[in-house]
Amino acid sequence: MKRQTKHSSQEQEQLSEVGAQQTSPLEFASAKELLQHDAGQTVVPPEIAERLARSIQNEPKPARSWWRRFLDR
Amino acid sequence: MELLVSELSVEQEQPVQPRVPLEPEEFARLYEEHSRAIYYLALRFLGDPQKAEDATHDVFLKVYRKFNEFRGESSLRTWLYRITINHCHNLRQSWQNRNLVTTADESVWENTAGPAESPLRVLETKELGERIQKALDGLSAEYRLLLLLVADAELSYDEIAELTKQSADAVRGKLHRARKAFAVLFQQTA
Repeated sequence: MKRQTKHSSQEQEQLSEVGAQQTSPLEFASAKELLQHDAGQTVVPPEIAERLARSIQNEPKPARSWWRRFLDR
Repeated sequence: MELLVSELSVEQEQPVQPRVPLEPEEFARLYEEHSRAIYYLALRFLGDPQKAEDATHDVFLKVYRKFNEFRGESSLRTWLYRITINHCHNLRQSWQNRNLVTTADESVWENTAGPAESPLRVLETKELGERIQKALDGLSAEYRLLLLLVADAELSYDEIAELTKQSADAVRGKLHRARKAFAVLFQQTA
C-alpha cells in the first residue's frame, strides 16, 4: 500500500488554520488590561525573600511589652 | 438624628490604637500577598530589575520596622504603595541629581491624535515586557505611576488620588492623557 506523503487539501486547510491560531495576536482592550496581564506574568525573584529573611534576622529584637513581661514573671 | 451624628463624631474622635510589631508568620503572609504588586510597581516605575529587587527588599524591611506605625486609616495595600512610591521617588530624585534621568514632556501628548481607546495588539509575547517598559519609559514619572496604580484592581480612584496627592477628577483627566500617550508609544515599539 502506498503511503500518503502529502496532506490532502482539507488537511492543509486545517493546518493553516492551526498556524493562523498560533500566530493570532493577543489583543488588549486598554493599557490597563495590558499592564494587568504584564503584572500577572511577573515573577518576584526569590532572592528578595532570602535577603529579607537575612536582614530581619539582623534586626534588633523589639522590646517586650509591659504586659508580656508581667505575664512571663 | 442628632444623637446619631454625635455618636458618629465620638466614634471618629477615638484614638486609633497603633499595631503591635509583626510576628514573623504574619510578615511572611503579608509578603506573600503583596510582594508581586510592590515588585511590579518598582520594576516598571524604575525600569531596572536589579534596582526593583533592591527597592522591594528595602520597602518590606521598612514595613517590618514600621508596622506599629500603620494605623489602619487606609488599606494595607495603600500604605505599602505609599512607602514604595516615596522610596522610588527618592531613588529617581537622586538619579536626577546625578543627571541620570530625563523627564518626558507631558504637553507633547495634549494634542496628539492617538489610539487612546483602540485595542493594543501583540504578536510576540516573548518581548512584551520590554515593549511595555520602553513605552512606559517614554512617559513622565507621573503618567507612568498613574497607569501602574490604576492597573491594580485593588485600588480605587480615590485611593490613587490620595497616593498621588491630587483630586480623583485630576487623576481621571491625567489618566486619559496617559493612556493615549502610552498607546502611541506602545505602537511605536512594534
